[in-house]
Amino acid sequence: MGNVLVVVEQLNGKTGEITFEMLGKGRELASALGGELHALVIGGQADELGIADKVWVMGDGALAHYTSANHKAALVAAISAISPRVTLIGNTSIGMDLAAGASAATGIPLIAYCNALRVEGGQVVGTSQIYGGKVLAEVAPEDGACIVSVLAGAFPASAGRSDKTPVLETLAPPALDNRVRFVRLIEPEAADVDITKAAVVVSVGRGIQSADNIELADGLADALGGVVGASRPVTDAGWLPKSRQVGKSGLRVKPKLYLALGISGAPEHLEGMKDSGLIIAINQDASAPIFDVAHYGVVGDLFEIVPALTEKIKG
Amino acid sequence: MNIIVIVKHVPDLVEELEIAEDGKDLNRDFLKFVVNEFDDQALEQALLLKEKGGGTITAVALDAPEIDQTLFTCLAKGADKAVKIVGDLEGRVTSHAAAHMLADALKAMSHDLILTGVQSAEDLDGQVGPLLATYLGEPHVSVVTGVEARGQMVVVRQEYAGGVTGEFEVDLPAVLGIQAAPQPPRYAPISRVRATMKEKKLVEIQAAAADGAGLNVRQMVRPQVASHAEMIEGNTDTVVERIVGIMAERGLMNG
Amino acid sequence: MLTSEEKVYFGILVILTLSWAAIDFARIAAVIVSRPGFSVRVVLSRAVRRLPSMLTQVGATLPVFRLRPREGVFHYLIFAAFSFYALVNVLDTFSAFTGFSTIGQNVLLDAYNLIADVLSVLGLIGMAYFLVRRFVQKPPVLNFNPGVVLYPKVSAGGIRRDSLIVGAFILTHVGSRWLGTAFHLAQAQETSLYLPTASVVSLALAGLPAAALAFGVHATFWLAVGLILLFFPYFVRSKHIHIFFAPLNWLLRPDRPLGEIQPLKTDGRPLALQDLRWHQLLDTYACIMCNRCQQVCPAHNAGQPLSPAALEINKRYYLTDHLHEFADGSAPRVPLLDYAISREAVWACTTCGACVDICPVGNAPMLDIIDIRRSLIEQGDTLDAGVQKSLENLGKQGNSFGASGRARAKWTQGLPFKVKDARKEPVDYLWFVGDYASFDARSQQLTRLVAKVLNDAGVSFGILYEAEWNSGNDARRVGEEGLFEMLAEHNVAALDSAQFKEIITTDPHTMNALRFEYAKMGKRYKVSHYSQVLARLVDEGKIVLRPQNGVNGATRRRVTYHDPCYLGRYNRVFDAPRALIERSGLQLVEMPRNHNGSFCCGAGGGQIWSANSKQAERPSEQRIREALALGDVQTFIVSCPKDMAMYSDAVKTSGNEGKVVVKDIIEVVVEAMAESAHEPKR
Ligand SMILES: Cc1cc2nc3c(=O)[nH]c(=O)nc-3n(C[C@H](O)[C@H](O)[C@H](O)COP(=O)(O)OP(=O)(O)OC[C@H]3O[C@@H](n4cnc5c(N)ncnc54)[C@H](O)[C@@H]3O)c2cc1C
Ligand code: SF4
Ligand code: SF4
Repeated sequence: MGNVLVVVEQLNGKTGEITFEMLGKGRELASALGGELHALVIGGQADELGIADKVWVMGDGALAHYTSANHKAALVAAISAISPRVTLIGNTSIGMDLAAGASAATGIPLIAYCNALRVEGGQVVGTSQIYGGKVLAEVAPEDGACIVSVLAGAFPASAGRSDKTPVLETLAPPALDNRVRFVRLIEPEAADVDITKAAVVVSVGRGIQSADNIELADGLADALGGVVGASRPVTDAGWLPKSRQVGKSGLRVKPKLYLALGISGAPEHLEGMKDSGLIIAINQDASAPIFDVAHYGVVGDLFEIVPALTEKIKG
Repeated sequence: MNIIVIVKHVPDLVEELEIAEDGKDLNRDFLKFVVNEFDDQALEQALLLKEKGGGTITAVALDAPEIDQTLFTCLAKGADKAVKIVGDLEGRVTSHAAAHMLADALKAMSHDLILTGVQSAEDLDGQVGPLLATYLGEPHVSVVTGVEARGQMVVVRQEYAGGVTGEFEVDLPAVLGIQAAPQPPRYAPISRVRATMKEKKLVEIQAAAADGAGLNVRQMVRPQVASHAEMIEGNTDTVVERIVGIMAERGLMNG
Repeated sequence: MLTSEEKVYFGILVILTLSWAAIDFARIAAVIVSRPGFSVRVVLSRAVRRLPSMLTQVGATLPVFRLRPREGVFHYLIFAAFSFYALVNVLDTFSAFTGFSTIGQNVLLDAYNLIADVLSVLGLIGMAYFLVRRFVQKPPVLNFNPGVVLYPKVSAGGIRRDSLIVGAFILTHVGSRWLGTAFHLAQAQETSLYLPTASVVSLALAGLPAAALAFGVHATFWLAVGLILLFFPYFVRSKHIHIFFAPLNWLLRPDRPLGEIQPLKTDGRPLALQDLRWHQLLDTYACIMCNRCQQVCPAHNAGQPLSPAALEINKRYYLTDHLHEFADGSAPRVPLLDYAISREAVWACTTCGACVDICPVGNAPMLDIIDIRRSLIEQGDTLDAGVQKSLENLGKQGNSFGASGRARAKWTQGLPFKVKDARKEPVDYLWFVGDYASFDARSQQLTRLVAKVLNDAGVSFGILYEAEWNSGNDARRVGEEGLFEMLAEHNVAALDSAQFKEIITTDPHTMNALRFEYAKMGKRYKVSHYSQVLARLVDEGKIVLRPQNGVNGATRRRVTYHDPCYLGRYNRVFDAPRALIERSGLQLVEMPRNHNGSFCCGAGGGQIWSANSKQAERPSEQRIREALALGDVQTFIVSCPKDMAMYSDAVKTSGNEGKVVVKDIIEVVVEAMAESAHEPKR
C-alpha cells in the first residue's frame, strides 16, 4: 500500500498554512503511489481537512496543548497503527521536534528540509535543501517508507484545500509522557519589531525621500504580513528607528522575501540582506548594484509601483 | 548542573561548494570548516547557565578537520572539559550515525542537560538533537530561545513562527536544540585559545559502530544562481501582476 | 639689602620649601622610574642624542603654535619671561643679600636689565591674555563633551582653580619684581635707559616718603622671590609642573614610530596605572591640560564621550592624590576605567594618532587607549557586534569581510592579463592588496585600474593570492593582540615564500603594519604606497600624463585631497599623491586641516566595523563640509580604499550628492593618461 500521511500542525487552535501545502502535495503523491491521503490530528480539531481521504483524530484534552514529548509519542503510535508509506511533517519548530524524533523511534528514514517530492518508478524521491540552500540533494529511502520534513512555502497551499467532508476515525492516544509540560503561550509584544525574525522585510532606502512616505512601505508590509526595514540613511535621518537598519552596521536579515525599495545596494547594505530567499528590487536606476543580488528587478518609480502593488495584494 | 554541549563542524558556507565527482557528496578536499553557528549559541547558553547556577560544561564533538581548534575555543570560553569522539569518520557523517555515536558516548557521562544547536547546514536526514534524545530516551525540545534552571527541571521557551513562544517545564536529564542564547556568543581572544591549547588536553573516546540514515543520496547539485536580477518590464499593471505572481508561486502571499 | 632677620627667615624658607618640593618631586620621579621598561642607560643615551633638537624645539616652543598660533605667541611671552626670570631671581637674591646693584655697572648688566624690563611687561601681558581667555572669553575648546569621564576634582573646577592660582602667582611674581625695580630706582633717585618701563613707574613713585619706598623694596622682594619659594611645593602638584616635564618628555620619550605599538601583558586583569609603562606616566606629568588633543580628536568632534585630554588629566589628578601610595608601592590597583576614561570612550577611538601628533608636550594618550582595549579583550568584554564578527572573520578566513579566503584574488577576474603569483615567480614589486581593495565591490574596480596601470607601465609585480591575509593592523588596534600575531605570522611566512624587492600596499593601514610592526618580528621590508609607486613611474616617464586640463590658458580644475591618517601621520607620505594631482593638471586646494594635521575619516582602529550610532555628526561628514567650504571644489581625492567607502557614503548622508565627487588617486591618474593618449602624436 502507498498511503500518504500528513501530520496536521495546529497552534492555538489554528491550522498552519504548511498543513495545506503538504496536503496538496500529499494528494499528488498518493495518487502516484496508488494509495490514499490521510491526515493526522493530534489533540486538535479536524475542520478544513476535506481534501484528505481519511482524517485520524487522536487524543483529547490531554494532548490539546502541544508538547514535544507527548506529541512525539502520539505520532510514533499513529505511524505504527497506520503504517503510511510517506509521512509528511512541516519543517517548522514543531516539525523539528517530531520528524527526527519519530524517525529515531521508528527506524524509518527521514528526508529533512525537503522542497521537492516526486514518485519515480514507484519510489519516493525527495530533494533536500542543505548547506544554506547552496546545495540540493536528491535522496530516496533505501527501502519502502520514509518520513519527510517539508520546508514551508515549497508547495502551493491552494492545492490542499477542499470543502468536502472527510472520513473521520479516532485513534487511541498512547500513554502520556509528562516529562515535558506545557506552561503557557506568549504572544509577541506589538511594540518591538524584530526584523531578523520576520519572513517578509519591506526595506526602504533614500529613494523614499521623506519620513511621511514611510507609510507607503508600512502599507505594503502589512499586506504581506511583514515588517519594514531600511538602509542606513533612512535610520540616520530618524525616519525609522535604528533597530530597522539592515546592513553592516545594522542587522543581518535572511527573510523569505526581501523587497528593496529605492535602495542602491551599497556593499554595506548588501552584506546585511544578500542571503534572503527572494529579493525583489524596485529602483529608478537600471545600473544600481542592488540588481546584482536581486532575483527580480523593476526599473521604475517606487511611488507608482508600491501603492499599486499594495492594492493588488490586498485584493 | 552538569551540561554537555555538542559541537559540530560544518563546511564554511562562504566558500564555493563543489560537488564530488560521483555527485553524491561535496568535494571535501578543499573544504574549510567552521563551528555550526547554532552550536555556538548552545555553548553560550550553557555558559550563561553555569555562570548563574554553577556546574560544569563538557564540550563533545565528533572528530572532524580542525575540530581541535574549536574544542579548545570552547575551553577558552569557559567549558571545563572537551571530549573528542574519534573513529572512522571520513566524509559526511549522517545525523543518524552521529546521534548513535554520541548517544553511545554520552550514556557513560553523567549529565543533567545536553545542549545542541537546533540544526546544522548538513543535516540532510534530520537534526541531531531529537535523534540523540530519542536514542538516549530523554525528552527533547527544539528551537529553544531561553533556558532557566529550576531544581530538577528547566523552564524553556520554544519559538514558533510569527514571534509566538511556548513555555514548557522539562524534567532532567533532557536534550535541548538551541536556536539562540539570550545574548550573542562571546568572543574568545586568540591568545587565550592558544594558551588553552598549551594548558589543557582533549579527552578522546572511541566511536561506536553506527548505522546510516537509511537514505540513498542519488545526486547533489548546485542550484543555478543568476548574477543579475531578472528584470520585469512593462507598465505598472503588468509589473505588479508579475510580482504578485512570483510571490504567490513561493507561497508568500498568505500573510 | 635685606635685614639680617630677613636673611634668616629667607634661609629657613628656602630650606623648607625646596626640600618639601624636592621630596614630592622625588616621589614623582620614583613612580615614573619604577615602571616597567625604564632603563637609565637607554634613557640617558637618548637624552644626550636628543638634547640639541630638544633645545630648539622647546626653546622656540614650536609645538605650542600649532592649532592656536595666537595663544602660541602669548604663551611664548610668558615662557620667555619665566625662563629669563630663573636668572633674575638668582641675581635678585644675590643683590638682596649683598646690596649689589645691577644698574649702571657694565654693558652686560645693562642688556640684562633691558631684557628683564621688557620681558616683565611682555610676560604680564601674556599672562593677562590667558586669564582673560579662560575666565572671560571661555573658549569652547576648554569644555569637555557631555559624558566624558572627569575626576571629581576636575568636574569641580580644579583646572580653572589651578589656572587662577598660577595666573595670580605669575602676575604677582613678575609684577612685584617689576615694581620692585621701580622702587629701587625711586629710592636711588635715578632712572635708567636700560630699564625703560620701570623708570617711568619710578617717576610716579618718586614723591613717596623714603620709609614707604624702603618698605616697597622689601615687600616687592618678598612678593617676587619669597612667593616663588612658597610656590614651589604647590607647583609640583599643579599643572605648571609641565615646565619641567614637557622638556623631559621631549628628551626622553621613546622614539618609536607612531605606528609601532608595544605588546602588553595584562594577565586578564582590568588595566590600572600600575600596568602602564614609564613613559605613559611621564605623559601624565607633562600634560598641560590644553585640550589640543581633544580639539583634533574625531571622536570628540563627533560628540562622543572620548577626550584624550581628560584621560591624561584624570590620570594626573589621581596620581597626585595618591602620590604617597604610588611612591611606596602600596597603591591599590584601581582600574583606569573606574576614573580615567569610560568603556564607551575607549571603544570610540579611531587610532588616528592626531592626539599624539598635536600634543605640544609629546604625549601619546592613544597608547593608553589601545592598552585598555587589550585588557578588555583579554577579559572577554562584550564587543560591538560588528567588531566581534570582523574579528571572527579574520580568525576564520583571514579577512574582515567573512568572504572565502580563497576568493582573495577574485578581483583579478576581468583583467585582460594574469597577475603574477609572487609565490611562484620572482617579481620586483610584491603587491599586498589588503582587504578593502580585494573584497569591497566599490574598491575592486579601482584595484583593477591600479593593476592595469602598473601592467601597462611594464612593472614586474605579483600578488600572494589566497596566501595574503589581513595585515592585522586594525585587529591589533582593537586590542586583539593574539589575532594580530596569528595574522602577522601567517603573512610573514607567505612573504618568505615569495621573491620580491619591494612591497606595494593599497591600504595605508596595511602599509603601517608591514613597515613598522612586522619589523619587530625581525622582518624589515621596503614598503611603498601605490601613490608613491605611481609618482615614481610618472617621474621615470613610464606613465605619461599630458593632461589637457590647464593647458593653453584653460583653467585648471580645482580639487582637494584628504591625507589618510595612516598614510600621512603614520607613514609620513604627503608628497606623492600631491605630485600626482599636480601632474594630472589639477589645481590642488588644501583643506584647512591637511598633511599631518589632517582630520580622520572615522574608519580606523576597527571603527569601520562597528555600528557607532552615537555620533552627532560623523567625522567623514564634517570633512566633506570642510571640503565644500573651500568653494568651487567638486572633486575630493582619496588614496585609501576605506576612505572611498567612508566618503562616498558621507557625500550622500550629508546631502551633498552632485556637489562633490569622491575619486581615488588612481582615477585621477587614469583620466590624465587617457587625455594624453588622445593628444595628437607629434
Ligand atoms: C562603515 C560603514 C557602514 C555602513 N553600514 C551600513 C548599513 O549597515 N546599512 C546600510 O544600508 N548602509 C550602510 N552604510 C552606508 C552605505 O555605504 C550607503 O551609503 C547606503 O546603504 C546607501 O543607502 P541607500 O541605498 O538608501 O541610498 P542611495 O545610495 O542614495 O540610494 C537611493 C536609491 O534610490 C533610488 N531612487 C530614488 N528615487 C527613487 C524612486 N522614486 N523610485 C525608485 N528608486 C528611487 C536611486 O536610484 C538610488 O539608487 C555604511 C557605510 C559605511 C562607510
Ligand atoms: S587617536 Fe584619534 S580618535 Fe583616538 S583619542 Fe587620539 S585623536 Fe581621538
Ligand atoms: S595630552 Fe597633550 S594635547 Fe592633550 S591636553 Fe595634555 S598637553 Fe594638551
